[in-house]
Amino acid sequence: MTDTMERRALTREQLLAAYRQMRTIREFEERVHREFATGEIPGFVHLYAGEEASAVGVCGNLDGRDTIASTHRGHGHCIAKGVDVGEMMAEIYGRQTGSCHGKGGSMHIADLSKGMLGANGIVGGGPPLICGTALAAKLKGTGGVSVAFFGDGGSNQGTTLESMNLACVWNLPALFIAENNGYAESTASSWSVASDNIADRAAGFGMPGIIVDGFDFFAVHEAASEAIARARGGGGPTLIEMKFTRYFGHFEGDQQTYRADEVEHARAELDCLKRFATRVTETGELAQADLDAVDAEVAAAIDQAVDDAKAAPLPTEADLLTDVYVRY
Amino acid sequence: MGDAIAGIVANPLSGRDIRRLVTQASVFPTAEKANMIQRMLTAFAAVGVHRVLLSTDLGGISAAVFRAAGRRRAQAGPGPDTGWPEVEFLDGRPIRQTAEDTVDAVRRMVTAGARVIVCLGGDGTARVAASAAGDVALLPLSTGTNNVFPVVREATIAGLAAGLVATGAVPAGVAVTRAKLLEARVGDRAETALVDVAVSTERHVAARAVWDPATVTQVFCAFAEPDAVGLSSILGQLSPVARGDPHGVTARIAADAPEQVLAPIAPGLVVPVGVRDVEQMRPGAAYPVDARAGVIAVDGERELTFEPGEHPTVRLRTDGPRCVDVPAVLAASARLGLLRHQLRRVGST
Amino acid sequence: MARSITYREAINEALAQEMERDETVIVMGEDNAGGEGAPGDQDAWGGVLGVTKGLYHKFPGRVLDTPISESAFIGAAIGAATAGMRPVAELMFVDFMGVCFDQIYNQAAKFRYMFGGKAVTPVVIRTMYGAGLRAAAQHSQCLYPLFTHIPGLKVVLPATPYDAKGMMTQAIRDDDPVMFFEHKALYDLSGPVPEEGYTLPFGEANVVREGGDVTIVTLGRMVHTSLEAAGQLAADGVQCEVIDLRTTSPLDEDTVLESVEGTGRVVVVDEAHPRCSIATDISALVAQKAFGSLQAPIEMVTAPHTPVPFSNTLEDLYIPDAQRIANAVKTVTGWSR
Repeated sequence: MTDTMERRALTREQLLAAYRQMRTIREFEERVHREFATGEIPGFVHLYAGEEASAVGVCGNLDGRDTIASTHRGHGHCIAKGVDVGEMMAEIYGRQTGSCHGKGGSMHIADLSKGMLGANGIVGGGPPLICGTALAAKLKGTGGVSVAFFGDGGSNQGTTLESMNLACVWNLPALFIAENNGYAESTASSWSVASDNIADRAAGFGMPGIIVDGFDFFAVHEAASEAIARARGGGGPTLIEMKFTRYFGHFEGDQQTYRADEVEHARAELDCLKRFATRVTETGELAQADLDAVDAEVAAAIDQAVDDAKAAPLPTEADLLTDVYVRY
Repeated sequence: MGDAIAGIVANPLSGRDIRRLVTQASVFPTAEKANMIQRMLTAFAAVGVHRVLLSTDLGGISAAVFRAAGRRRAQAGPGPDTGWPEVEFLDGRPIRQTAEDTVDAVRRMVTAGARVIVCLGGDGTARVAASAAGDVALLPLSTGTNNVFPVVREATIAGLAAGLVATGAVPAGVAVTRAKLLEARVGDRAETALVDVAVSTERHVAARAVWDPATVTQVFCAFAEPDAVGLSSILGQLSPVARGDPHGVTARIAADAPEQVLAPIAPGLVVPVGVRDVEQMRPGAAYPVDARAGVIAVDGERELTFEPGEHPTVRLRTDGPRCVDVPAVLAASARLGLLRHQLRRVGST
Repeated sequence: MARSITYREAINEALAQEMERDETVIVMGEDNAGGEGAPGDQDAWGGVLGVTKGLYHKFPGRVLDTPISESAFIGAAIGAATAGMRPVAELMFVDFMGVCFDQIYNQAAKFRYMFGGKAVTPVVIRTMYGAGLRAAAQHSQCLYPLFTHIPGLKVVLPATPYDAKGMMTQAIRDDDPVMFFEHKALYDLSGPVPEEGYTLPFGEANVVREGGDVTIVTLGRMVHTSLEAAGQLAADGVQCEVIDLRTTSPLDEDTVLESVEGTGRVVVVDEAHPRCSIATDISALVAQKAFGSLQAPIEMVTAPHTPVPFSNTLEDLYIPDAQRIANAVKTVTGWSR
């Protein structure tokens, strides 16, 4: 086997782990969707259901040297990068046991120890930051790669375009993932992205830009594998555009009157978990029983996370003033 | 002739796959595809094609042509002569942004009586268009450098040739040649290829492209030109087969084979490939695929997965698309004086 | 004791000494070296006003020029800081903050708090501020009040070469994001500066002149203008205490309040625009916490509520001068109910 084949061939364990992560994201988001409707969860949540293959396909190629930055729709990236699900759920409920001790919330979940630079409440906030972590990796010679996830909306933000240019000028070990789910809030990407394909912008910065079916885990994993290898090897950044759709609204509570019936169609015909399951059972790489076992474990884990979150203590007045500075 | 109809189908998504990353496949701007169509429309009008059917897309190609047509009408004022044929945009059906869009468009053009269909794209687009074109003459026009089957030609010239075929001015016998075809079959699933079929040991279709010879165990070629890029170049150097030859060629690929070829299997990718058991392919015969499991790639794109026990086969067929031979058409046009006329002085008897 | 070097040289020396001591310190900004990609000299500029000159060759690979993409490279400096580097990034003119402010106030400033204490962002952003060079409206603003307003940022404004070196050294070693404001009209100012490395703690104001009659609270270039006014007033028998705040965040409230308790009269001198400025901030502090000591209302001497004008005469009218400060002092000393 060549290095390339070895790098991309997925073992049984890796396939199971990928399925587990995608299933965890799906269950997490579906559960948050239901719980949010009860009014118990404060603030805003933006759900990633439908897009799992992108986060898991990309992060499946990353390791402890690598950093990602995410968007307001960050739960999927957090889970795919290994952030603790229980801590995430507690954070969403604003509890002291949350990833950010209840001080960040859904849009700011981060775990720097896992190379997760945070979900971000500012559209386009992530790309400049990963130029920095990529620069640090390059200067320190760690071989680490930094990945910016952003949406079709974020692809139009000046920060994203500047960051792509800067990453190419400095030849950074970076990867730009444009998750084009068709809508920036209520505005169609076919309208807001003048060139229609975000990938086409890459040529303007002198880096490769490719389009991948975001519903297909294997396509994502393969493309990301090549791009990450290129970055690690000093070949510079790549732009990968995922084309897919999100199953829920921009935020929970969004009536989505701007959409047609594409979600029904996607859930039935294009769903990444269904397609993954069909494929791996067809090839015999995994058995349906393996997948069913994961489903059951994940369901139990999410239940536990929600129960724990609801029972966890809220932050106290003393927590209000802490951690503004390291030392003031 | 008043009822000469031509069709143009353009693929807005061609040229954005992983080959831009793992090889140095070209980046072909959407704006250029739109320009090519406009150049062809001018050429069509010049040789008497009055009606053109154009596929619609969400990638900005048909929109650009639509805007240009509007500007022409505005500039030309009242009267029919805008210098372009009447362009009918094939609208009204949902655009799925998949190969189905190309198939749909081509079928509609066939049904509407198009005499020639120009398709803009690469090998993949040509393959898909060919599968739906039936006996209607096809002119696959290359956009990008990594293609084998489509014609690499300036669009105006391609337009002239296609137009002369659409009007019937150049007889079909001269204008059109029938291409060969490969058919790969796995049980009741089949795919066709215009150039090559490769057997890959990859498990999944994934990002489709094939660029690592270590994953390839067999190739089948409808033709193998020594000056082509792509997988067929492997056999193009060892055992060339012309497009007009009645047979094809197949071989096994193994890194440790004694016969090694330096082959340009992709743009910017020239690699040694081990080849053995080179064999001619007779039309109609079913050649077995050796690998137990993997994916069959058609014209360089993984498409058909197969599992142990499925026993895929590949067949060479002679009933491929009827393709416009651009140089032959324009040579015939010169012989027949189709683009020539005498300037008559006004008032002379 | 110490030789005399300029404010510019003092900052350069702090950078060089810290880069020598700590390999994670890197410098980045537009033309911080200069000449990148061009056929002539590398390090052609060393910063638009020469502050970073020489570092490019002394520390190869650690002085990075950038395209004109503030949000990208300021954001990159911030990201690199979360990943174990100590970047000193230059926002060339603070007037340009508009194109990168998000990265500073929504990202860097908030990481530690939003992430529950789990982030450390030791970035320094150096920036030029202030009027006096006829650089006009978009290259002459002060704007430090906007940064002072943001929890999570530290805002420091050295007024002398000695302070500049000590505070830059402190800023680099500090684990929080620091906005380091350099007044462009002070670069050529000379003063005594020790050769060895040293730090000046943040949140400690400096009483640069003692006096019992009036407390002048000021910062930046206005420290010198205030001292000029104080000199004139001394001739008239009015003794001014001049306090250089040095840092607006953290703020040394105690030094100010202690002085006010002694003098009972306060003039705040701030080159920034009058609304929501350091002048109003200090005034509110004094009014709230030293009301009992006040003998007169607080006087503020600031620039007018206008953009910075271009023409010589107008800009000179815009910038508070010693006469206006002296007038304000006379107002508070002459005030009676």
